[in-house]
Amino acid sequence: MSITVGIPQALLYYKYYPLWEGFLGGLGLEVVTSPATNRRILTAGVEAADNEICLPVKVFYGHVLSLKEKVDLLFIPRVVSVEEDAYTCPKFLGLPDMIRAVGDMPEVLDPIFNFRLGSRRVSRDVYSFAKRFTKHPAKVWRAWRHGVDEQRRYVAKLESGWTPVEVLSGKAPPEAKGDMTIGVVGHPYNIHDEYVSMNLVKRLRKMGARVVTSDMLPHRVVEAEANRLPKKLFWTYEKEIVGSAFYWMRSGTVDGMIYMLSFACGPDSLIQVLLEQEAKREGAPALMPLVIDEHSGEAGLVTRVEAFVDMLAWRLN
Amino acid sequence: MRKANTTGIHLGIDVGSVSTNLVALGEDEEVLASVYLRTQGQPIAAVQRGLIELEAQLEDVPLEVGSVGTTGSARYLSGVIVGADIVKNEITAHAVAASFVVPEVRTVLEIGGQDSKVILLKQGVVVDFAMNTVCAAGTGSFLDHQAARLGIPIEDFGSHALKSSSACQIAGRCSVFAESDMIHKQQMGYRVEDIIYGLCQALVRNYLNNLAKGKEIVAPVVFQGGVAANAGMKRSFEDALKTEVIVPKHYHVMGAIGAALLAKDSIGNGETKFKGFGASSIDYRTSSFNCKGCANNCEIVKIEVEGTVLARWGGRCGKWEVQEVEEEAAV
Repeated sequence: MSITVGIPQALLYYKYYPLWEGFLGGLGLEVVTSPATNRRILTAGVEAADNEICLPVKVFYGHVLSLKEKVDLLFIPRVVSVEEDAYTCPKFLGLPDMIRAVGDMPEVLDPIFNFRLGSRRVSRDVYSFAKRFTKHPAKVWRAWRHGVDEQRRYVAKLESGWTPVEVLSGKAPPEAKGDMTIGVVGHPYNIHDEYVSMNLVKRLRKMGARVVTSDMLPHRVVEAEANRLPKKLFWTYEKEIVGSAFYWMRSGTVDGMIYMLSFACGPDSLIQVLLEQEAKREGAPALMPLVIDEHSGEAGLVTRVEAFVDMLAWRLN
Repeated sequence: MRKANTTGIHLGIDVGSVSTNLVALGEDEEVLASVYLRTQGQPIAAVQRGLIELEAQLEDVPLEVGSVGTTGSARYLSGVIVGADIVKNEITAHAVAASFVVPEVRTVLEIGGQDSKVILLKQGVVVDFAMNTVCAAGTGSFLDHQAARLGIPIEDFGSHALKSSSACQIAGRCSVFAESDMIHKQQMGYRVEDIIYGLCQALVRNYLNNLAKGKEIVAPVVFQGGVAANAGMKRSFEDALKTEVIVPKHYHVMGAIGAALLAKDSIGNGETKFKGFGASSIDYRTSSFNCKGCANNCEIVKIEVEGTVLARWGGRCGKWEVQEVEEEAAV
């Protein structure tokens, strides 16, 4: 019987699942994911996590708890940095420790990904992580390559207009229709977690809007736009948010933008100001921040989204 | 029944958390009748009472209902009850009404029972808006509560504020702290009118610093919603913004006026779905249950008349929403 390893369907799952699944599968492990977020998962996460932490991390706790009895190992990598000169969110660095601190957990696998130190260092860390599962370096290399290939296919699919949920479930997006296009910016784990976002993407499509999200833009575009800031941002994921929003503010390809952010997110609260300043420029598309937390009722979100779509339709007429 | 067209009267119904408002607009979009009621947590009963009162006011008007629109937090529920031609969110409804009354309006300040909004317009088109989030500090409910605590009828709250010669400094960021601040000031012996005016200023400060943060407030400014009745709030806004603040004649039913205007626009030459004023005597029953279909355990609300399900909603997935299923089947 193969060893099972659990990957919580939360946080960086939406960014790197194909890489992780390909890699761990290549090492001979059986990957198990938690189900999509539901009320039980959210409630369990909110109860287990520290009260001050942001909603997506609370959701992560809930997913870990739902996997806990079902797997031999938990895969919670320490993603320090995914590129040179930039870091991920500080909470991601401490994630494995935070989960261990809950107590009574399966063993947590926490390989370090720190691309800031160069890809040679990453390879070394990958090997040292994988050696408990195989003694053959070639097998590790093949497994990693497999993961990287899967990831490349995933990103290509995102750039062709599929959402992460659509790619990972293999369900093609509905045919795009509607007169208006709305850019949804924010962390993928907020936007694409349908429970957390209260189905924002589907809701907008149902109201007759075409929807594009930050993860559908090519990395180089996002990078170039983010570099328009006088000072380089040192958080990779926030750079993606700023870059995509800046791109849409100038490209004329969207009629409006919704920035979905979670209440207790430090980086989000800073980025919000940057985006709002940029949105004041003449001719920029309308920007609506949409804050979510565990107390958010659907009614408030629906009212705002309806009013936003009305506003865009009104302008188009 | 006469075939409905735009020559009839147009009804707008705004069912909010605290008040339920109904208006009837005539052929020239003039307000023929208006009703302002407390919702008292019973939106269906409030709509039914409102319809009775509205019908009574319209006794001498020989016109049929041409269209009806609903808005407010209970817009979907009231839409089912009356047979709405259009169901619109209250932000759009308020913007439409404000630019109807003051066509050149640039800023709408709206403070209702439990929410507040700021809407910015340019040439009659909404360009930006914000609505308060989880916190209800500074809304009508809080003023209501404070008026009751001071033993002053809410209707007189504003005129008391105007008597003030020097306002007290009250913390307006949070209702709970504002209340303890007010009690403290009372115990120290400050005059009630100075405390009340201080409270108005605190609420305006809170509104401008939180809700309207970073938004450029340009005149003409229209102030509407139930709280616009409070002359102390109007004066505080004028002091803070250093510009005239216009309170329209029908400030308390602007959402309903917006809904009626939108209904009139949407109906064209079509026929209204209005169920008639008789909807006030129908026995609507609502019930709710927890769906066991998945781990979400959504609370589904059901509205029935004599065993027939009119509508169901509240689920994360669409499986209980009969209303939509029926509409799709009808197409």
